[in-house]
Amino acid sequence: MKRLQLLLNLVCLLTINVGFSQTLISGRIIDAKQNPIAGANVYLEGSYDGGTSDASGIFSFKTTETGTQVLIVSFISFETYRKAGDVYNFQDVEIKLREDVNTLDAVVLSAGTFSAGDNSKVNALSSLDVVTTASAMGDFVGALQTLPGTTTVAEDGRLFVRGGEANETQIFIDGIRVFTPYTPTANNVPTRGRYSPFLFDGITFSTGGYSAEYGQALSSVLLLNTIDEPEQNKTDIGLMSVGGALGHTKKWEKSALSVNASYMNLGPYISLFPGRNDWEKPYQSFSGEAVFRKKMNKGLFKLYTAYELSDFELTQEHIDYEDGVNYKLNNKNLYVNTSYQGKLNANWSVFAGGSYTNNKSDIHIESDEVDNLEHAMHAKVALKYRFNNRFKLNFGAEQFFSNFDESFKVFNANSESYGFDNSISASFVEADMIFTKKLALKAGLRGEYSALFKTFDVAPRVSLAYKVASRSQVSLAYGSFYQNPNNNILKFNQDVDSEESSHYLLNYQLNGEGLLFRAEAYFKDYRNLIKYDTEYASYNSVFTNNGSGYAKGFDLFFRDDKTLRNFDYWVSYSYLDTERDYQNYPIAAQPNFANTHNFSVVGKYWVDDWKSQIGFSYSLASGRTYTNPNETGFLNNKTKAYNNLSLNWAYLISPQKILYLSVNNVLDFKNVNGYQYASTPNSNGVYNKRALTPASDQFFFVGFFWTISDNGTDNQLDNL
Amino acid sequence: MKHLILLVVLLVNTVTNAQSNFETGMQKAFALWQDNKQAEAEQLFERIASAEPDQWLPNYYVAQLNSLKSWTEKDATVLKANLDKAQEYLNTAKGISPNNADIMVLQAQIYTNWVAFDGMTYGMKYSAKITELYNKAYALAPENPMVVLGKAEWGMGSAKYFGQDTAPFCKDIAHALELFVNFKPESAFHPKWGEARAKHVLASCK
Repeated sequence: MKRLQLLLNLVCLLTINVGFSQTLISGRIIDAKQNPIAGANVYLEGSYDGGTSDASGIFSFKTTETGTQVLIVSFISFETYRKAGDVYNFQDVEIKLREDVNTLDAVVLSAGTFSAGDNSKVNALSSLDVVTTASAMGDFVGALQTLPGTTTVAEDGRLFVRGGEANETQIFIDGIRVFTPYTPTANNVPTRGRYSPFLFDGITFSTGGYSAEYGQALSSVLLLNTIDEPEQNKTDIGLMSVGGALGHTKKWEKSALSVNASYMNLGPYISLFPGRNDWEKPYQSFSGEAVFRKKMNKGLFKLYTAYELSDFELTQEHIDYEDGVNYKLNNKNLYVNTSYQGKLNANWSVFAGGSYTNNKSDIHIESDEVDNLEHAMHAKVALKYRFNNRFKLNFGAEQFFSNFDESFKVFNANSESYGFDNSISASFVEADMIFTKKLALKAGLRGEYSALFKTFDVAPRVSLAYKVASRSQVSLAYGSFYQNPNNNILKFNQDVDSEESSHYLLNYQLNGEGLLFRAEAYFKDYRNLIKYDTEYASYNSVFTNNGSGYAKGFDLFFRDDKTLRNFDYWVSYSYLDTERDYQNYPIAAQPNFANTHNFSVVGKYWVDDWKSQIGFSYSLASGRTYTNPNETGFLNNKTKAYNNLSLNWAYLISPQKILYLSVNNVLDFKNVNGYQYASTPNSNGVYNKRALTPASDQFFFVGFFWTISDNGTDNQLDNL
Repeated sequence: MKHLILLVVLLVNTVTNAQSNFETGMQKAFALWQDNKQAEAEQLFERIASAEPDQWLPNYYVAQLNSLKSWTEKDATVLKANLDKAQEYLNTAKGISPNNADIMVLQAQIYTNWVAFDGMTYGMKYSAKITELYNKAYALAPENPMVVLGKAEWGMGSAKYFGQDTAPFCKDIAHALELFVNFKPESAFHPKWGEARAKHVLASCK
């Protein structure tokens, strides 16, 4: 009994003792501007003891913990504060919380960049837009041509950015270069991107001033990211007026495989709507793609491979030849891209990747034969070190290698062979600094060594963004860019240097709910452009780096998906003033791929009762230059303006079946892309001309897409 | 001998204390929630989560409170912050208790929050994932009424949209209601919400 008494006493004593050892923890929570923060959660790590700050930021609570403890203050949109110390010292403390710079309303480096997908904070387009734009016809490049900064070169189909040639834009898949991104075509027939848009869930299109991680592009880069993890097992079937496609995706616990095969043949379409070209063998292509992804312990491995076979033969009109010119092409293209992205620990992450391209073309022009084979390779390793949310360092090295061989054979003569090996080594380092929610800076340096020219170039890149108000920000960017002359030059002469450009950008961006407005002014300076002294580049031309040029202008973009219910539209306008003196130009002139004014509107209306999306896109581009030999001067005339209105209709028959219709150039505008002049004057001393018009003014497309999946809700709307 | 008893008593005391700490903490948090003091309840759940690294429940409730808040939130900045927080705590819960049907249901709801906020952007991205999560949860716990309810409600939304028959889903919801009657959660703190919701949805069937 006595013993129990003692025990009880002891227990009491212990409890009282515990009661006595409570410590009061108190203080005040403020933000960087000394404003009190109400509602913050303040507590000791690992204990239940804590409190909430009141309207004046003041908190206090008692704790039974003793000794060294960690005081934590957490509040949404602020970085969590942690401080270790003796509990007795946590009295009347003043704690300043730092804003979380990863929130939606933080500043973003936006100069020059358009992002699609939901992986970035400010998107001009969603990934779905890329494939539901009426004029794009399922081509991801086509959708980007409705953005400002691009010029309308309807007969080409590639991306021409701010007075730059198409080959000044480079395309990357998962950070790795694509060497031959476009399908082969005949003269005056627009090309398309080779890769099916539904493989990608993130698209970043930079029209200038881009990161030091990317090089060998004087004007622009287009970054495509393949989908990390497909949603489910499914089979996709597509039947189209121009061919068919079959795809299947299989998911396992940690990995997934998607395969896709398609066959396109323009034959049936051409027999219905013959157009202006005389096809001996209508365009046909077979392509297969496969993507394999595997989740590793701390990273993701991806392997993407695509193979495409295409051929056609046609006779096109030509002013000098009454019977036209016969052109025949056969192309085989293999592309393999593999990458690994992983975390090493909390601060380090690593990226490694590589690609290989094998492109073989056999071309017959009348009785001449041109055969070429290109092998190209790119390998890259990059490391990222994250000091904290506000300071990150990215650095790495990469290697490009390409080998190009071509033979040219004139009927009844011996063939001529030529080619080159090109090797470029590069390294880059770039820092991302977010000083406050309002101010961010990206600064990088890129070094490139060209084994062909034995030269080393250093390219600095800087980009700065400042938030001027809660919904608007201003960005500035500067960058220096180098690029090797293209294959058409290098195959004849390697004793030249890199071409060079500098970009200066000033960008303003305003974000409202469902609204986005961007304005960007730029100046671009070209140096060391290749010049030659013959009409076409050939092995007897004299090549120099004496060319130069400039491009300046501004781009406007407005998007609104809020004002009208179920209606989403965007408007783009670009003004471009550019001249260059390069290639065979006798003087500086506005090149024929650049037009001064480009305007486009894209709209999409969702009709709920019809389960349909109806879309339109309209583009208007001012005339492009051409040389009229009947008058003096070079590039002395301009074509009339270009107009195009396209419509599309996607009808959801059931959750898994979609019918898709689209018509390009509904109003049947007779567009002229340029003029071809006879090489010799006629008996009256006049050079005859022929208008370069599209192969057909209009184009119709009908497709039926059916998805068979486990759960029956997925469809191919995102394929269109 | 005395010392030994004392030691045992103290030890038992600390152990039960620790046990009841979690229980009192959780009870207090639920009481705050009951009193419509969601913010305070959330903060207490956060503290419990930090103090009890082996318990998935406090993490689950921090996530759920943030998901619930988001249904009515119109400001994109706040919404994103809330849903990011919900995701962060749910990730912790997943780490503690993998293959948990309750967590899968909540994950599906957080994705549904995104879809409800901006169907154009997130509909494509999450719809199939949501379906997959409900299917997985159903395979794990076909008798869990929250799983049955969530799965049926999601299927119903899509069927309504396409003008398909919603009767089978109404039957599933009635089945969920039956399950609620005899549903015994693992502990007093395990999730057991949704009965009122099921009744409400079922009423719309008639």
